[in-house]
Amino acid sequence: MKKHSKFSRRDFIKVSVMAGGGLLVACGGGSSGGATARPNSPENGNNNPPPANEEYQVGEFMRIGTDNRITVLVGAAEIGQGALTAIPMIVAEELDADWSLISAELSPVAARFNNPYFQNLLQFTVASSAIRGYFDPQRSVGATIRQMLISAAAERWNVSASSLRTEASHVIDDIGGRSASYGELASAAAEQNVPANPALKDPASYRIIGTSPQRTDASDKTDGSFKYGMDVDIPGMLTALIARPPRFNGQALNVDNNAALAVPGVRSVHTIPGGVAVVADDFWSAEKGRKALQVSWNELLAGRTDSASQRDEYSFKLNLPGVPIRSDGSTLLAQTLSSETLSADYYFPFMAHAAMEPLNVVVDYDGSSAEIWTGTQSASLDKIFAGVVLGLLPNQINFHMMPSGGGFGRRGNPLADFVRDACFVAKSLQQPVKVIWTREDDMKGGYYRPAASVRVSASLNSANEVTAWTHRAVTQDVTASLYAENALDALHELELPALGELTDFDTGMPYKIDNVSMDVHLTVLPNMPALWMRSVNKFSDVYAQETFIDELALRVGQNPYAFRRALLSEKPRHRAVLDAVAQASNWGQSASGVSQGIAVMGHWNSFVAQVVEVSVSASRELTIHRVVSAVDCGTAINPDLVIAQVESAVIFALSSVLFGEITLEDGVVQQSNFDDYPVLRMHQTPSIETVIVNSGNTVGGVGELGVPCVGPALANAIFGAIGERIRELPLSNSNFIIA
Amino acid sequence: MLTIQVNGVAHTVDAPEDKPLLWVLRENLKLTGSKYGCGQALCGACTVHIDGQPTRSCVLPVGAVGNKAVRTVEDIRNEHIGSLVQEAWRELNVPQCGYCQSGQIMAATALLKSNSAPSDQDIDRAMSGNICRCGTYPRIRKAIHKIASEQL
Repeated sequence: MKKHSKFSRRDFIKVSVMAGGGLLVACGGGSSGGATARPNSPENGNNNPPPANEEYQVGEFMRIGTDNRITVLVGAAEIGQGALTAIPMIVAEELDADWSLISAELSPVAARFNNPYFQNLLQFTVASSAIRGYFDPQRSVGATIRQMLISAAAERWNVSASSLRTEASHVIDDIGGRSASYGELASAAAEQNVPANPALKDPASYRIIGTSPQRTDASDKTDGSFKYGMDVDIPGMLTALIARPPRFNGQALNVDNNAALAVPGVRSVHTIPGGVAVVADDFWSAEKGRKALQVSWNELLAGRTDSASQRDEYSFKLNLPGVPIRSDGSTLLAQTLSSETLSADYYFPFMAHAAMEPLNVVVDYDGSSAEIWTGTQSASLDKIFAGVVLGLLPNQINFHMMPSGGGFGRRGNPLADFVRDACFVAKSLQQPVKVIWTREDDMKGGYYRPAASVRVSASLNSANEVTAWTHRAVTQDVTASLYAENALDALHELELPALGELTDFDTGMPYKIDNVSMDVHLTVLPNMPALWMRSVNKFSDVYAQETFIDELALRVGQNPYAFRRALLSEKPRHRAVLDAVAQASNWGQSASGVSQGIAVMGHWNSFVAQVVEVSVSASRELTIHRVVSAVDCGTAINPDLVIAQVESAVIFALSSVLFGEITLEDGVVQQSNFDDYPVLRMHQTPSIETVIVNSGNTVGGVGELGVPCVGPALANAIFGAIGERIRELPLSNSNFIIA
Repeated sequence: MLTIQVNGVAHTVDAPEDKPLLWVLRENLKLTGSKYGCGQALCGACTVHIDGQPTRSCVLPVGAVGNKAVRTVEDIRNEHIGSLVQEAWRELNVPQCGYCQSGQIMAATALLKSNSAPSDQDIDRAMSGNICRCGTYPRIRKAIHKIASEQL
C-alpha cells in the first residue's frame, strides 16, 4: 500500500491510496487521545510512524474500491436501531453515492470513531445519540470526499471543477459529455488537497436522506448468517459460566470444585472477584459443572436490598425536600394563594432490560496481548477496563465491537461489568474463552432500571387555572457507582460524559405554568447495581406528569387533549405532535366500549404524542386495541427506521408497564427467566400506527422517544374506562387480567 | 457418537445424549443461526424444524432426535415457503436487532406450510411462543399476511 496522507487544518480527515488504487478516508474527530488509542500504534514514545498498512487498518473510515463499491465504517453500536443503515445514508447523501453500492461495517474501537455527542471522548451508544452525534461529521466527510473526487476529475479532463456535477457515484461533465465513476477516480482523488469547508447540501436537494431503503443488515438477519458476539468461534476456545453470589457483591469464601471437575468436559474452576468460573469444552458441560459446584459465600458486605422496605423508604423521602433541578416563580406562594392543591404519589419497581441475546464476551488472552469480542454499547470504556484487568496497554488489545442482540442500556455499562468478569476468567485461564451468561444470569445479574417514587402536585386558582406545579422524584443515582468503584482509581484521568448528557431532567414539564418546582433525591446504593434503561427517568417522571395533568383536566371539566393544547401555547413542536396524534387517532370518536388516553412529551430534541385505546371488561380483562403515535424527530434520516423504532418502543413500554417488575427479598432477586419476568408477546400486541411530523429541524433522538408516553396514555385510557387511577406499576399488580 | 440428519446431511457428532440439540447445532456443527435465548423453551429463539414441526431445540436432548430430519434457518431458503418468508422479512424490514428472527422465521414458515391463509388468531397461536424484545410483532404479522395473500 502506498501512503499519501494529507491533513486538513485539524487533522480532521486523512486520505490515502489503498493497495489496488482505491481511496481510503480516515475521519479524525477524537479530540483527546485519553480514552482510546489507535490499537496498532504506540501511544507514547518514538515518533516513527507505524507501518502504513497497520495504520490504515485502524484509521480507515471509508473505503472506495476501484470496483466502485464503498464501505462505510460505523462508530456507533448496532443494537437493532439501524446504525449500520442510517449512518452510511448520511455519508452517502453528501457523497452523492449510489446507495446500492454502499455497505457498512462496525468500526474498530479507536478515538477517531468516538461519538461527537460525548465530546469525542468515547464510542458510547446511549441517550439516543447515534444519529444526533454522528450526523454533522458524517455529512462533512461525505462532502469533503465528493469535492476531492470532483477535483480529480477536473484535473483529468483539464476543465474547471465548477463545471462538473456528481450523481450516483459518478462525476459528470455535461459540457464534455463524459463521466467517470468514483472507483475510477478514487486513487487520483486521494492526491487532491483536502477542502477546508466543503459545501453541504441544502436539505431540499437530499436524495437519500428522507428515503427508506432496506436495512443493510436485513439479508444476513434472515438467513442465520449475521454474527453476534454469541456466535464468535475461535480455535481452541473454551466456554465458561460464572457462578455468582446470590446477593450482589458477595464473595466466594469456600469453593468445593470436586464434583464440578468430575463432570465430563469440565476443564477448570477459577475464583474471580465476581464469582466462580467453571470452564469447559462446551456450554452444556459448563452448565452441568456449575450445577455441581459447591460454593459458600461471604455476604458480610453483600447487598440486602428488599423491594418492600426500599419502597417504604422512598415513600418517606417524598416528604423531604430534595436537590432542586428546576424552580420557576414561587410554588409556595402560589399554593398559599390557590383555591385547591391536589397531589398524587407514584411508584415504579426495578426492571430488567432482558435483551434477547444474553450477555457474553469472548477473550483471547495470551499474557502479552488480547483480542476481545462482545456486543456492547460502550466499547471504549470496555476496552479501558479490559486493559486494567489484564494489565495491558490499549495498543495490546484488539477489541471487536460486535452487533448486539438488543441492548436497551444494559450493554452500555460504564463500569464494563461483563467485560471485566470475562477478562478475569481469561487472565486466570490464558486460553481463548467465551463467557456466556444464561438467561437466569442475565435476569439476576443486576444493573436494573432503578425503582422510583414520584410525587406531583398542582394548584388551581378560583378561575380553575393551574398556578403551581411540583414534581419530586426519589430514585437511585445510576452514575453514583461510577465514583464508588475502586477500579476507577486507575483511571483518574478519564473524563466521563457529564450526567446532563445522559439524563434529561431539565426539559421535563412543558406546560405553561408560572410556578414550578422540581427536585430529586438520588440515593446511592453501592450494593444494588442500577443502570439506565431505554428512556431512563423519563419512563417514571413522564408517567407521573402525564397522568396527573389528565386528572387536572378532568377536575376542571376539560377535554384532556384540549387542556394540554391550551397549556402548550408556547411549545409549538409539542403542540404539533399533539394535534397530529389527535387527528390520526380520531380523538374523541372511538368505538363504543373503547376508551382513549393521551400523553405528550419532548426528549432529546424530538417530540412525541401518543393515544392508546383500551377496553376493560367487568372482570377486569384489559384489552389494548391500538396505539397511535405522532413523532417529530426534526429530520428523519430513514423514515421507515424511525417508524420501526417507535413500534419497538411502544412494545417495549407495554412490556414494562404491564409486567415489568424485578423484586428483591433480603437482597435476593426473585425473578429468573421469561416465565416469571413476562414480556409482551404477539397475541398481546395492539395495532400500532405511527405518523411522522416533519418539522425540518435538526436531527433529534429516536431510540427512546416512543417509550415514556405509552404508560400514561394507557393509564389515562383505563381511567376513562373504569374510573380508576393507576399510580403504581406494573399493571399486573392491579388485578387486571391481561389476555 | 451420535448421528443426526441436519439440513439433509447426516452428521456424526461426539456429544452426550442429554446435550440439547441447540448446542449440538451451534457448537458441534457450527450452525449458529439458531440462537440461545432462554434455555427453557420460553422464548423460541432456538426454533428449528424436526420433521417439519417447529421445535424448541434448547430443551430437546440430541439423543431424542433419532433419524428425524432437522432443518435450521441456514437451510430454510431451500423450502419454497421458507424463501418467501425470508424475502418478505427483508422487504418489510422486519428484523431490528435480529437475534430472535431465526426462530420467528422458522415458526412463520411452519405456520404458512400448514395454513396458507392464517387469520390473526392463527398467527397469535403460532407465533406467541416467540419473543421479540425489539417489538417486531406488527411487521411479522404483516409479512405473514402479505405472503398468504400475494403468494400462496
